[in-house]
Amino acid sequence: MRSFNPPHLPDHLGDVLSGLLDGELAADQAQAARSHLGGCPSCAEELLAVGQARTWLRALPPVEAPFGFYERLAPMWPAPAPTQQERRLSPFEARQKPSSFRHQAPPERANLRRRAGLVAVGAAAATAAVLGVGTPRESPVSPSAPQVARAPGNSPSVATDVLSKLAPMGVPVSFRR
Amino acid sequence: MAYRLTGNHDDAQDLVQEVLLRVRRGLETYQPGSLEGWLSRITTNTFLDETRRRKRRPLDLFPDDPDRVVPPSPGADVAMAAEALPDDVQEALRGLPPEYRSAVVLSDVVGLSYQEIGDALHVPVGTVRSRIHRGRALLRGVLTR
Repeated sequence: MRSFNPPHLPDHLGDVLSGLLDGELAADQAQAARSHLGGCPSCAEELLAVGQARTWLRALPPVEAPFGFYERLAPMWPAPAPTQQERRLSPFEARQKPSSFRHQAPPERANLRRRAGLVAVGAAAATAAVLGVGTPRESPVSPSAPQVARAPGNSPSVATDVLSKLAPMGVPVSFRR
Repeated sequence: MAYRLTGNHDDAQDLVQEVLLRVRRGLETYQPGSLEGWLSRITTNTFLDETRRRKRRPLDLFPDDPDRVVPPSPGADVAMAAEALPDDVQEALRGLPPEYRSAVVLSDVVGLSYQEIGDALHVPVGTVRSRIHRGRALLRGVLTR
């Protein structure tokens, strides 16, 4: 059998097991690893252990931003300044003719506006991605809020409310773990 | 991702703000490609930079040595259970060395491939696999202790 064993584990698969779990091995490597597992209880046990850890990690629920966090970030991404033509328009007129003025804008202004738009889109995407909002995951392990609320003996006190503990300095809770 | 890396909301918010600053600085040089990979790379590198910076200071807020900062044991009931509570998993994750934690988070929380993680951390794929495996093994050991 072809050997994949790291030097510190000469007789066992070691980190190849995580590669196998993650589908990161070539077909022949995966086949050889499975063959080894059939005759090695130690590696089979380790596979179950790291597989369990992997499952726990992947079941972690998304974490949403604390109340007001997006508002605090807003000054870091100032809105693009209106063009001279747009400043002459009332808000109503600006809403009516945004596309026509966009076409009339000089090239350097159009570039600036595109960059500003890119920055705004980037900010929103970056915040969402970094915070993990909308990341597809498996079902959260924790019981849902209604389940917790229905459980006997649960009252909406700060001491027992898991969400309240996450709120920074008494800010109203509008997020979940 | 920021919360999973740092383990608390205050540090996660600081990390996100620093990431946004770096994103803003780097946006004009961004080449169309994997936006998620690019952001993950910036986030991870910012986290590791901050970890190294704090390591040089007397007050070390990010626990780096799992033997020095041991997360509370969840007890025998958790060891017997098929599932671990998210808070316990997060606490165990926080106890991992930053390099292992980054690899595990990028793999199991963000969902990047080994190659993408290697690109983000500037290490070979073999090192990525090793860090992920050791990180998972350490985490499982803490949760079943």
